[in-house]
Amino acid sequence: MSGPSFWWIDWSLHGRAMRRETAGRFLLCFMVASYFLAMLLSGGVNRFLSEQYTMTAILRIGVPDGEGVGIAGKVALLPSVREARYRTPEDAWKEFLTTYPGLDSLRRGGKTPLPGYVEVSLRPERMSEKGIADVMSALEPLAQVEKILSGGDVMPGLLRLKHRANIVLWSGFGLVCLVFLVILAMQEKASAARLLPDVSFLADRGTPGERIGARRAVGAFITGGGIVLLAAASSFAFLYFASAGFPFVRIVLGRAQELVDGRFAVPVCLFLLSAAIFQGLASLVGWRAAFPKGR
Amino acid sequence: MIEAFRVGAASRGRPLWEGLTFAVRYGEMWVIAGPPSCGKTLLMQFLRGEKCPDSGDVVVAGESIYRGSPDHHRRFRASCGVVPESLPGEGVKTVTDLFRLSALAAAGLPAAETEGRMEALLSLVGLPGAEGWEISSLSGSERARVALAVELFRSPRYLFLDMLLEKTGKEWADKLGSLLRALAREEKTIIMMERELPDRWKGAKTPPPLSAGPFRLYRLVASSPDRKEEAGDPPSQGGSSLGLTGGRV
Repeated sequence: MSGPSFWWIDWSLHGRAMRRETAGRFLLCFMVASYFLAMLLSGGVNRFLSEQYTMTAILRIGVPDGEGVGIAGKVALLPSVREARYRTPEDAWKEFLTTYPGLDSLRRGGKTPLPGYVEVSLRPERMSEKGIADVMSALEPLAQVEKILSGGDVMPGLLRLKHRANIVLWSGFGLVCLVFLVILAMQEKASAARLLPDVSFLADRGTPGERIGARRAVGAFITGGGIVLLAAASSFAFLYFASAGFPFVRIVLGRAQELVDGRFAVPVCLFLLSAAIFQGLASLVGWRAAFPKGR
Repeated sequence: MIEAFRVGAASRGRPLWEGLTFAVRYGEMWVIAGPPSCGKTLLMQFLRGEKCPDSGDVVVAGESIYRGSPDHHRRFRASCGVVPESLPGEGVKTVTDLFRLSALAAAGLPAAETEGRMEALLSLVGLPGAEGWEISSLSGSERARVALAVELFRSPRYLFLDMLLEKTGKEWADKLGSLLRALAREEKTIIMMERELPDRWKGAKTPPPLSAGPFRLYRLVASSPDRKEEAGDPPSQGGSSLGLTGGRV
């Protein structure tokens, strides 16, 4: 017989039912954690948009390649920029011919009539008017830059759409969390109700019900923390393999490896802690529902 | 000591009995006998602090369990064992589960001790090897004996037994009589509610019953005359020839 403790009273007295519930809770946590990690990684539609959208700084004809590389290097250091690549006039000509084959005759004297350019991709989380403006303000003063293509009038509308889509996606996450909490509370109420004869036995022998309820909540917090940690680790593994195996996932969500980046540490820890706290609270709520005050 | 002062009960708007006064000292064993529906279980509930009497008071170690501090009431309840009229069995599946529940109530029995103790107690009530038996498969007598073993598991200072002999059957009267007397000699206070005192228990040394209301009160084991009651109603400690002490009482 294991050492008895009110923290694990459910496990100690109704182990089989608890195993079933824990499996269900793990699945729930896995779904919520997957949603959360996917949103964290992608920033909603930010990742997809940043993969599709590039700003182009067309350089003046005659700007040496060295200067073009230098400009790209400096732009890449801007906080909003994920990647900046310099394309030589020769690269630009090849791309032109790929798009419009048969126009070789435009090239005269071995010289390409096209200028080189710098292609700039923004970080998903900086996909905003401010992020674009930052890059524009860095490029515009440069004498070597002839023109900047940034989407023009379409961009503000697109960014507004992106903002709304993100609100919808985060609201979806909120809804999933709400459903998760409701299921948690129902599960906890059923667990507490299952303990009714046991609690009655214990209360009859001088153990205050409040003490059992509080200690169960501590147990639920610890167990819940373990479950959500395991579920988050499984979600990470799932995203890792999905992003490695399916390019579409990579484009929409990004690479799962990025989640180990330090900037995600705080939100991930907060998520794990909140999930554990909610499970502890749900235990108390379930207890109170099954054993109203004074009962 | 448990003292009942002018305790009265009413049921369905009319008094069942009133003015019941008696005292049960440490290490005494009492059988409170009475006809069906006379309020034996109700009296037991009053004495255990489960239900406040309609009149009068119950005092344990000099403090009322109803008008005294909640902590005193809780400590008294924690030091009680009870085999109720309706036996446990709901919610738990096996005999071991019941012991587990009792261990939870004791909150502090070492895990290594519990196994051996459970086996010893089950053997004592004639159910060796019953640890894994399902509660639903037990007969009424077996259930009553398991319930007694489960209570003894925590080594309670006060033991309340409601219709135990009725449930276990006459065959068990002698064995249980010896066991309970031995417990009383170890300073456990035992109060039994029965319809009648078993004939076999009526010996030459048994004092005549006291009559109180509809009840006949038999004091089968008296406390040692030289036993001094301690002021603060301390928990029982020390070893036991039956090996039933320990835990939180």
